[in-house]
Order: sequence, then structure tokens, then C-alpha cells
Amino acid sequence: MTNKGLLASDLTISRAEHVLLEGAELELAPSTVTYLYGENGAGKTSLMRCLSGLLQADSGKIHWNGQSITSLDSEYFQDLIFLAHALSMKAELTIYENLSFYAHLRGVKDPRALIDKATLQLGIGQLQNRRFAELSAGQQHKVALCRLVIEPAKIWILDEPFVNLDKGTRHWLANLIQDFAKQGGVVLFTSHHEIAELAIDQRIGIEH
Amino acid sequence: MFSALLKRELMVARRNWIGIVIPLFFFVMVVSLFPFGVSPEAPTLQKIAPGIIWVAALLATLLSLEQFYRSDYQDGSLEQTLLIAGPTQVASAKILAHWLLTGLPLVIISPLLGILMQINHGFTDSTHTWVLMLSLLLGTPTLCLIGAIGMSLALAANRNGMLVAILVLPLYVPILIFGTSTVTASLENFSYNGQLAILAALLMIALVVSPFAAGRALKISVS
Repeated sequence: MTNKGLLASDLTISRAEHVLLEGAELELAPSTVTYLYGENGAGKTSLMRCLSGLLQADSGKIHWNGQSITSLDSEYFQDLIFLAHALSMKAELTIYENLSFYAHLRGVKDPRALIDKATLQLGIGQLQNRRFAELSAGQQHKVALCRLVIEPAKIWILDEPFVNLDKGTRHWLANLIQDFAKQGGVVLFTSHHEIAELAIDQRIGIEH
Repeated sequence: MFSALLKRELMVARRNWIGIVIPLFFFVMVVSLFPFGVSPEAPTLQKIAPGIIWVAALLATLLSLEQFYRSDYQDGSLEQTLLIAGPTQVASAKILAHWLLTGLPLVIISPLLGILMQINHGFTDSTHTWVLMLSLLLGTPTLCLIGAIGMSLALAANRNGMLVAILVLPLYVPILIFGTSTVTASLENFSYNGQLAILAALLMIALVVSPFAAGRALKISVS
């Protein structure tokens, strides 16, 4: 069956009695990269959390591949990778242990080759056995990005993925997003600056 | 998926072993203070032993709750695991890991405290120790299951451990009553099967309700 993408209709989101979005319509088609922009506090993260099923919208519907995301929780959430501000890694575990945990959750039985590939591409291959807490902030960010290579998914929702990245890693991430979209993936990302390396198919702005 | 969640909990705990040792140390220290503070006489200690050991086990479980949930919430891994594995599965894995790492050690070390509180008549008689262990084996999982609901609700309300204590302690009372009375009945040579059956029934109810309730509360906590 052809993937119909993510469709949000008549979406109203509020935080602490402040309405961030009212009656928003959003369509994220397969093979497209969507750039979500707006000032701090405009509601970008809230919208992303809502599309990820982490935040309940006041009203409206979200459909993945033609079906409500609340009616088929597990399928949508197995297709989704949501990278938030928090890096979601355990400080006590090594890079390998953290990444293999997420791979196993996604049903990847032997993630060694994928972890090697991702960490080598990002220049942290030799640090695989180092604990996450012992890494620099930039290296920690790279570990979180490795999830995009290791975990199978059909939709990526990325909250500020380009923050704190050096030039090489920005380039790598832009290529990765582009390749994922070419293979039919759906990408929604936020950034405070447009990313020159990345061809964007759709721009969505949120205003106060 | 469940095994991956459980394995990670155990690995994190192994690296952060001090957090596991503290509740166990607390359990042993609290119980061992009573012979000094109350009386070293066997009849007195025997009389108060069930209550002391059970209250200490209850407080040790409460003490260990915070670390099991708070760090996942703070580093963002809670919301990721909830997304991928689902709330009930995440809560179940956390509860099982919590019991294996804090409840089970209390059960294992309880014979030592039985000796300290002189619950047996000499070293050859171990009946009361077995009853104590059995009551803790049935009771401590229920403490972890109920505690998980309290801790998840506290996370959802963005509150600290004090709220957990207030939420959870009243729910611990039936377990405390039947746990203590199991050991007391054994010490007084009465039948304790009824109390054990009630402890088992409470465990069954908690097993059915808690993973679901704690999971829902965890989901609310990240939204």
C-alpha cells in the first residue's frame, strides 16, 4: 500500500491556557522535507510533540497513512523517530549500549554493523565503548543523530537537529535527510536558520 | 522489546550501584538499631521484629523509588521508550527491574535480620525465617507495583518524592498489616496461611492494575 504520509487537520494546541495553534492544517507527504520555522515560544516544539503523539491536542485529527495515529499507536510509533531537545541517552551507558538499546526496541536483532557504520561516519567510531557522560556536548549530539541511521523508520520529526553541529556533521545530516526523503521518507524539522546544504520541499511558519 | 527495556534498567543500575546499595543499607541499619535502642532481650525483640522489619522494608522501597523514574524523565529517554514500546510495557519493565534490584535483595538479606531480631529459637529452627522471607517475597513486589503508580503520578504532577510518600503510604497499610501479621502468627504458632493468601491476592490485584495505571501516568508526565 502506498504511504499517504502524515495529515493533521483542524489542529488546536494550547499550553498553560495560551493558544499556540488554532485550526492548523498540515500535510507531510512522502519524499518531502518540511522546514518548520518560527520564533522562540511560537509553538514549534509543541506542534512536533503533538504530531509525535506525546502531547494531546485540544482538538483536531492526525492521520498517518490514512488512519488516525491514536487508533494504531504501535504501527505509527514504530514508523516514527522523534528527536527532541533532550538527547534521550543514559549517562551511565556507553555509546554502543545506548544505540543498541534503541535498535533492539525497533526489532533490529544485530545492530553491530549499523552502529559501526553510523559512528564511523560521524567520527566517533573509536569512542563506542566510552560512557555517554564522558563525551563532549558535540559528541553527545552526534550519538543521538546515529539513531537516524540505526533505527528503521518512515517518518522523522527532528527538533533543532542542526544545533551545535560542526560543518562536516551538518553536511552529513543534510545528506542523510535528503537520502531518506528520496527513499520515500517523510521529514519535518525545525531550525532557527535555513540550512543551505538541504533542499527543502515545503516551508511552514508559525507566528505568535 | 520488554527484555531490551529490562536489560537496560539492569545495566544502568549496575553502573549506578550505589543507588541500589543505599536502600539495602538503610533497611539493615534501621532494623539493627532496635536491639540497641529498645532492648537486646529475645522476648522483646521477637515481639517487635515483624513490625520493625516490615516497616523498614516499606521505607527502603519508598526510598529507592525516585531514582528509578526521575533520571529517565530528566534525560528524555522516558518519552522515547514510551513512544516506541508503549506505556504499559515501559512501566512493567521498570517495576520488574525495581523489584529485582531493591525488593529481592531485601528478601535475601532478611534472614540476617531475623537472626539479629532473634525471631528463631536457636540456629537449628528456621521456620519463622522462612515465613518472614515468604511474606516479603509476596509483599515487596506489591510495594514496588503500588510505588510505581505513586511515582508516575508525582512525575506527571512535576512533584518530588514527598508527594509519592503521601500518595503511596496509605496504600501500603494493608500490605504492612498482613505482612506483619503473617510473621506474628508464625511466631505465636498460629496458622499464617490466610495472611499469606491475602498478600498473594493483593499482589495479583496490583499486578493487573499497576502496570496499566503507572503507564498511563507516565504518558501524562511527558505530555
